[in-house]
Amino acid sequence: MSAVLRRCLAPWLLLVGLVSPQAQAEEIAGTLGAMGSDTMAGLMLRWGEALTRQHPGIRLQLQASGSASAPPALVAGTTRLGPMSRPMNEAERRAFVERHGYPPRELAVARDALVVVVHRHNPLESLGRRELDAIFSDSRRCGAHEDIQRWQQLGLDRPEGRIRLHGRNAASGTHGLFRRIALCDGYFRPEVNEHPGSAAVVAAVAEDLRAIGYAGLNHLTPGVKALARRDTEGTRHFPDPEAVQRGDYVLSRDLHLYLNLPPGEPLPVAERAFLDLVLSPDGQAIVEELGFVALPESRRQHQRRDLGLDEDGG
Amino acid sequence: MPDSSPPLSVRRRLRQGRDRLATVLVTAGGIGVIVALLAIGVFLAVEVVPLFWSSGATQTISQEALWLPLEVADDAVGYRWDPTASLAADEVARVSLVPLAWGTLEAAAWALLIAVPLALGAAAHSALFMSPRLRSHLKPTLELMEALPGVVIGFVAGLVLAPWVERHLADVLAMLVLLVPGLLLAGGLWSCLSPRLQQAMPLGWAGLWLLPWLLLVLATAQAISPWLEAWAFGGDLRHWLEVRLGLDIAVRNAMIVGMAMGFAVMPSVYALAEDALSGVPRSLAEGAQALGATRWQTLWRVVLPAASPGIFSAVMIGAGRAVGETMIVLMASGNAALMTWNPLDGLRSLAATIAIELPEAGPGGMHYRLLLLAALLLFVFTFLVNTLAELVRTRLRRRYRRLGGGA
Repeated sequence: MSAVLRRCLAPWLLLVGLVSPQAQAEEIAGTLGAMGSDTMAGLMLRWGEALTRQHPGIRLQLQASGSASAPPALVAGTTRLGPMSRPMNEAERRAFVERHGYPPRELAVARDALVVVVHRHNPLESLGRRELDAIFSDSRRCGAHEDIQRWQQLGLDRPEGRIRLHGRNAASGTHGLFRRIALCDGYFRPEVNEHPGSAAVVAAVAEDLRAIGYAGLNHLTPGVKALARRDTEGTRHFPDPEAVQRGDYVLSRDLHLYLNLPPGEPLPVAERAFLDLVLSPDGQAIVEELGFVALPESRRQHQRRDLGLDEDGG
Repeated sequence: MPDSSPPLSVRRRLRQGRDRLATVLVTAGGIGVIVALLAIGVFLAVEVVPLFWSSGATQTISQEALWLPLEVADDAVGYRWDPTASLAADEVARVSLVPLAWGTLEAAAWALLIAVPLALGAAAHSALFMSPRLRSHLKPTLELMEALPGVVIGFVAGLVLAPWVERHLADVLAMLVLLVPGLLLAGGLWSCLSPRLQQAMPLGWAGLWLLPWLLLVLATAQAISPWLEAWAFGGDLRHWLEVRLGLDIAVRNAMIVGMAMGFAVMPSVYALAEDALSGVPRSLAEGAQALGATRWQTLWRVVLPAASPGIFSAVMIGAGRAVGETMIVLMASGNAALMTWNPLDGLRSLAATIAIELPEAGPGGMHYRLLLLAALLLFVFTFLVNTLAELVRTRLRRRYRRLGGGA
């Protein structure tokens, strides 16, 4: 009987044995918990690796389940860092203030852009503001006179037929940003195919000459072509790093990191080390390596000063 | 009586105690399942309530917005699912669940349309006519097919099958047109064979006879499709469909979902229907044939009615799985919340919507509650399908009990 009992319990004991040293290590060495955006998952992981290389005792533990998961975790105090690919909205900010009595600390850690992509053999090169709206929306709030549903309406003789639309799912930050800037806050057509990730959008466009879609800049592949955006004077803006940094390419955004930091208090050691890395040239090099765009130098310096990162030799 | 064994009364009491314990455990398990089921329903219902009767903090939604068409453009009326749109003051929220419910039912209908004839045909053949040796290989293979995860089927359907079908639309159409007459012709040719050859290939092995013909039909379809396209559709079938019939063609469409989900549902429908059909007593079929009924008459008039309760529940289980299936629809349908009869258009199901949007909907918000309402709707759907299945099954079983048919 006791042999059976031992055999039953052994795997569980083993499991406990595996888990407990780690749990102890967390408390001693300082594990930074982060919860939020899946767009920024790769970025956070690489920053975490670089951090562990600099300070072997610190470890970043990341849970990337979407930007919307960051605010509740910050409010409940279950995470210390909240990466978000969109700014917090009013309700989320209010919930944080109600609980803690002060607003969350917001940092911009990188720049990202949305690109409108077509198949690499599609002759289209650029789209104007109204054209893009007329293609993707049925509300035409940017001022177009009629919907654009066929390629011929763009003055092209190839490809023929309907424009097939691809985009991200309604809950994603990418979808929200595209709606706000490209559709002038209007409504998407119901025909837009909604994909669970930017990579899926790019893959779908890469296999179909008649498709158009929008995706994160870092998901570009050789199979698709990013379109330039024409402004009202007719100037073309390509989504290159300089234009994204300056904001000339308007389909761009900051990637944010939210902290629970009481005003007037210094940063805890682990957070300080992490932010020092993120806002250093090395940290920004990682940003560019992953296909995002680095922060403009002046903003990077400004935020470092704001956080007091360069004082007392930190 | 040996000394070591306890007296009879003790043993009896021990056995009674064990019986009682088993009864209690089984009852508790049964009650537990019912309670869990009710708890899920109640949880969903309670979470959904603030959508309609707010205590002030959250936004409420009117029933009209959920179920009735709304003005979508200047003079157009329709249904829209767009829960994250920011609204101007005078606008109605675009949160109609109708296109999602439509997409769910449409996907399930296509899946059943494809799976049920194939599964029932296969079940009838393997239960009644197939040689036992072939059957002993076929059944485990089909059951293995059931073990394929939905995400794998969805992946293959969405990323491999859908683009291929889109490029070879004419081939697929030619195959569909040629398949039935081609195989019927093959069946007819069998009866022209010399009696010696017929004896070498009895009905139990008909599948092997059909296999080369199936390949031949597919090859023929491939060969004639360019010619067919040039002759009947002006050289470009897609263009013809768009211009002549006004049909849009999406790469990921209801047809693809139907095929993939049909593939997923088929094995379970087949397995249950096969069990029901082989449960029909042999004496019934033999009696019918002794009275001069043909094989077809025996199958259609005697065996199928006797097994109908089991077959019906097989189809309903398939329907239940098709309604709740998530990953296949998510990956193969394009998730465009449309409401059309066009099988080449995309669709969006309740389950896929919940899977895509719930992770990013803030808990407690309107969007979150809307998704829980969708979950509640899905719960009610499957509950109704299963209840209906059980009702019809018991009625049919009562009617055919005299025949001594399978469950």
